Amino acid sequence: MNAIVSIREVVKEYQLGQTTVQALRGVSLEVLKGEFLSIAGPSGSGKTTLLNLIGCVDTATRGVVEVAGKDTAKLTERELTDLRLNTIGFIFQSFNLVSVLTVFQNVEFPLLLQGKLGGSERKAKVMQLLEQVGLHTHAKHRPSELSGGQRQRVAVARALVTDPLLVLADEPTANLDSATGNQIIDLMKSLNQQKGTTFIFSTHDHKVMQHANAVIRLADGKVLGRESAKDAVAHALSLGEAPANEVRA
Amino acid sequence: MSRLTMLVQIAWRNLLASPINLIIGALILFGTFLFVVVGGLLDSLNAAMARSVIGSAAGHVQIYSAKSKDELSLYGSMGGDPDLGAVTEFPRIKEALEGHPNVKEVVPMGVSGALITSGNTVDVALEELRNLLKAKDGVVDRPEYKGLAPAELETRITASRRHVRQMIKVLEADQKKAAAILQDKAIDPEVVAALQKVSSDDFWAGFDTDPWGSLEFLENKIAPQVTDSQLLFIRYLGTDLDRFQQSFDRMQIVDGTRVPKGQRGFLVAKLFYEDQLKLKSARRLDKLKDARALGRLIATDDELKRFVKENKAQTRDIVLQLDDLKTSEAVTKLQGFLKSDEKDLSALLTAFFDTTDENLEARHTFFYEQLAPMLQLYKVRVGDTLTIKAFSRAGAISAVNVKVYGTFSFTGLEKSPLAGTTSLMDLMSFRDLYGYLTADKAEELAQLKRETGAKQVTRESAEDDLFGEGNTVVAEATAGVIDEKKEFSGVGRRLREDDLVRRVYSDAEINGGVVLHAAVILKDPALLSKTLGELNALSTEKNLGIKAVSWQQASGLLGQVILFFRVLLLMAVAFIFGVAMVIINNAMMMATLQRTQVIGTMRAIGAQRTLVLSMVLVESVVLGLVFGGLGMLVGSGLMSWLHSHGIAAPNDVAYFFFSGPRLLPELSTANLIIALVIILLVTLGSTMLPAIIATRVSPLRAMQADE
Repeated sequence: MNAIVSIREVVKEYQLGQTTVQALRGVSLEVLKGEFLSIAGPSGSGKTTLLNLIGCVDTATRGVVEVAGKDTAKLTERELTDLRLNTIGFIFQSFNLVSVLTVFQNVEFPLLLQGKLGGSERKAKVMQLLEQVGLHTHAKHRPSELSGGQRQRVAVARALVTDPLLVLADEPTANLDSATGNQIIDLMKSLNQQKGTTFIFSTHDHKVMQHANAVIRLADGKVLGRESAKDAVAHALSLGEAPANEVRA
Repeated sequence: MSRLTMLVQIAWRNLLASPINLIIGALILFGTFLFVVVGGLLDSLNAAMARSVIGSAAGHVQIYSAKSKDELSLYGSMGGDPDLGAVTEFPRIKEALEGHPNVKEVVPMGVSGALITSGNTVDVALEELRNLLKAKDGVVDRPEYKGLAPAELETRITASRRHVRQMIKVLEADQKKAAAILQDKAIDPEVVAALQKVSSDDFWAGFDTDPWGSLEFLENKIAPQVTDSQLLFIRYLGTDLDRFQQSFDRMQIVDGTRVPKGQRGFLVAKLFYEDQLKLKSARRLDKLKDARALGRLIATDDELKRFVKENKAQTRDIVLQLDDLKTSEAVTKLQGFLKSDEKDLSALLTAFFDTTDENLEARHTFFYEQLAPMLQLYKVRVGDTLTIKAFSRAGAISAVNVKVYGTFSFTGLEKSPLAGTTSLMDLMSFRDLYGYLTADKAEELAQLKRETGAKQVTRESAEDDLFGEGNTVVAEATAGVIDEKKEFSGVGRRLREDDLVRRVYSDAEINGGVVLHAAVILKDPALLSKTLGELNALSTEKNLGIKAVSWQQASGLLGQVILFFRVLLLMAVAFIFGVAMVIINNAMMMATLQRTQVIGTMRAIGAQRTLVLSMVLVESVVLGLVFGGLGMLVGSGLMSWLHSHGIAAPNDVAYFFFSGPRLLPELSTANLIIALVIILLVTLGSTMLPAIIATRVSPLRAMQADE
């Protein structure tokens, strides 16, 4: 079995007062190991909901979500946390670094949670990652002393430090200008190629989308199809979807 | 470990990030400081007071009759002395208690109070003249007249007569002054006539012809015109003096000697001796000198100004004490010292006692070197026999004569009114005064019953015994049975008193009678609570009928003072930490709500709930430990400084609480540990709710953009 993620007929409903909102309506898809996959779609299409289910931070109302061969519905809260810690890396739209920790400590944090490595091994591992993202000279800096792009690179390093099978990135470039956004996507792509880590990232920016091996297109909580990046970009442009946020920091 | 380091680091950085943490920290710092310093001071005070109470009368444990109406209160209570039941089987109790492995000694006791009177100055002078005249006739009442050569005795009689005549001159002068300001009808012609009579040379020329009649006239007509006699309340502890002196090793004899073993006798508390029995002018000079040594200034201190004013106004006590020769000597000395031509002693004394901050030292020295040797500084002197009158238990007035062997004080408590005003009396005299039958008296009473055929009539059978059939009450005159002349001549009585003074009582006799309470001295005072429980159990088991209480309980209200302050401290600390808890709770709640995305992120990337819980709690504990630690440090520093410098007793009462002139506070490790525990409880307690709320933050919160 080569699929790292397997989703079958997944429905996710939210209760908004008296109204039940269906965020996902019978989504099925498979993500193979080593893929650099983009989930695309307009706002409200269900991209983040789908990533939450894959990232085990939320559970499906119906259907099956399997991550690394484990049915997430059958896992306890503690087991889900362990699965996230050991199998999944997260990159957030707002970087989500711990402001009171240094760059080094932010990256080291998941390793501390794992408790598998000793001090020197952890240090070597963290510094190696920081070198890969080009921030080894900023190890002692606090997040507030870094630019947006640098912060997101720290977040990438943090997501990869535990050698996860899967990295989820929710709109990783949304808070960055396009040039920096491209650098981050390039970084993710190169790490995907170097380490073979599976990347799934959501975006509605066709410039970001074009870096993916494949694009899952979502609309109204349904998968419209799986396309190549080229087709997906063309499709997006034909639908007149908004270009990337070019000036957002 | 690394994870904890990380959590502490997060906590430390969050600590510095929020200004409210500084407010919380300041509260924790102050609360801890207060607890460490005030707690330490109270502990030190408690220990010092324990030394004072235990070392001056109470011992470690006090026992008293379980049937007592009141609780034992060694220093008196609001309603006067407690009503204690009599401990009638003391030997059995003592034996039982001393069988306990931690009991070193049991010292029998009884506290009571009585009145003593000092005759007025003229009375005292006339008494001396009377004794000297009796000694001349061969009846020697006072030991100091024994063995005096006739010539020496004659010289003393002459001096004593001159002294009385000098007093009469003073009274005459007083009377003339009074006549100048009073209306004629306010002046008693009998008084004037009496003064005229005794100031005439004729009266004194006839004195030798009828000395006893002349003395009687002086005693009846002149002495009452001086109203400086004093009625003094004296508080005393009746005890086995030998055991007391052995058990309370802080006790030291200041003047005179110990009471010989097994004998009756009285030891006056030195402070009482100084305050109440010393010549007032001299005492005020002493107090002025002491106050100056403490830095107080006569120029600015109202109390000291009052002392000077009283000394200047009250010179009569001194003037009346001096005969004409001594008066002349004192005048010469004072004229020389004051460089004055004034001839009147009273005026010279008024000028002499006009003491200032500058001249006090010189005048104090002059007084004790030049004037004091001519004066009787104390109303009661070592060697005197003191007549002590007290209300017995039955309500009648009883009196005993006891010889004053000396004065005593407790080391370190010399100036404490609480420890320095209770005098010591032998147990036999105490029992006489208190109205309990001593073995002597019981035997005397039995003898009387046998001789007179008296029958004991009980309350229950009184009616039948007195008025029942078959019992005829016959009144018999007993004239002639009592030899009044013999009984009231005073010779027999004096012989009996002399016998009592000299008699040596055995331990069995001393312990055999009634006592009111007893001090139990422990071998290991650290085991006080345990021993106390065991002694009470022993009383129940052996039916001793006693109650054992700690020194603290036995000292009544006094013992509760520290407890009262401790409760105040705890209330203050509880209030401060209560406020801190509320603020910490709110602050941590706010901090948690502000950090939901960080917490959500941590949860998303794999932090378990327990880690989040630990993170919030560690943050709070770090806050508490940092500021609480600072509070402890500052508090310990202050205590250490106080320990090296000491706190001077601000007044005489504080001497008792400080167990000496200075309190050297000790830093208590127990207080530091308790403070630490309180800080941990407060911080953990107040953070528990925010911490639980933090654990409920969903990892989903990480995915929501923080706009």
